[in-house]
Amino acid sequence: MADTFLLEVATPERLWVREYVREAQIPCRNGYIGVLPGHAALLSELGSGQLTYSGDKGSGSLRISGGWVEVLDDHVRVLADEASEEST
Amino acid sequence: MPSLIDLRRRIRSVRNTQQVTKAMKMVSAAKLRRAQDRVLAARPYAAMYRELRARVAAAVAGDERLASHPLLVSRPEQRILLVFLTADRGLAGAFNTNLIRAAQTFIQQHADQQVELVTIGRKGRDFFRKRKAPIVAEYTGFSQRFQYADAAAVARFLIERYERAETDAVYLLYNEFKSLISARLTVTRILPVEPAQTVRPPDYIFEQPAIELLAGLLPRYVEIAVYQALLESVAAEHAARMTAMDQATKNAGEMIARLTLFMNRVRQASITKEIIEVVSGAEALE
Repeated sequence: MADTFLLEVATPERLWVREYVREAQIPCRNGYIGVLPGHAALLSELGSGQLTYSGDKGSGSLRISGGWVEVLDDHVRVLADEASEEST
Repeated sequence: MPSLIDLRRRIRSVRNTQQVTKAMKMVSAAKLRRAQDRVLAARPYAAMYRELRARVAAAVAGDERLASHPLLVSRPEQRILLVFLTADRGLAGAFNTNLIRAAQTFIQQHADQQVELVTIGRKGRDFFRKRKAPIVAEYTGFSQRFQYADAAAVARFLIERYERAETDAVYLLYNEFKSLISARLTVTRILPVEPAQTVRPPDYIFEQPAIELLAGLLPRYVEIAVYQALLESVAAEHAARMTAMDQATKNAGEMIARLTLFMNRVRQASITKEIIEVVSGAEALE
């Protein structure tokens, strides 16, 4: 099993993140989920909060709200309505 | 024969115009670059959205609640809403003219139905307002600046009208940006929402019921379509203006060259005339 997965975060206006990471915390509508490589396929609406991730290239954090997240075959796509780099 | 002073004045005036068109060309080039960047930046989301929707649609295929979703219901097209994107300003060659002609053709083609207009951009609005066409909503200022939220607001208006069955179909008419020198007039139907091509549904864990997810995804389809059209249209507008202004600058250059040649000829003619006068005067004295 790969030890990283591809995380993509995009809003309608631009792409925010596209990189291989080891783990990510994603604010879903029903609370935060933690994603590690090999996660089961999952689909959820996003809530609002802080998305954090860390990988070989370092870690990052984005404030996002609204949208959807899809986890499929070590590929996590976050389609947020809004995102910003400032932290809460 | 015009006097030398008149010609010089004329040349100066053409040169001033040339400077203006050159400046406008440069401004358009800069704006075009930014518009193109935005088109590119919007692509990843649109692509991810399409894939996601196809997979969700597959997961709920066969659910009878799906067919009754208000944005998927298709009715006979009696009342049509045409969303019509033009520029706010002119001096962009045939950009607006082509769009307006296409809109008129569209209205003629649907003469049996009732076509109402939503205009985005001043030029299209002014044209149809003068002709007392039914404009149900108008937006201006988007070619200067617009956010995704602006596109979303337009989309919400369209969706509400559709859900209240005040309209049976929504079409977008805009110039799609192909390249610097060519734009393609595009007419697409955005409502009712096209059924997604379904793919093999993966075995998802659904945090929310799939049908709810799809219901949330559908309005986004309209928003993205409007946003994409706006981006394309703005890029095409700047490209058209840039080409038009480039041509104008070239034409002004040609005109200056022609006038300068003519001016030199006039000057030479007057010098020759003076010499003849002097010579014949001298000869008369002998």
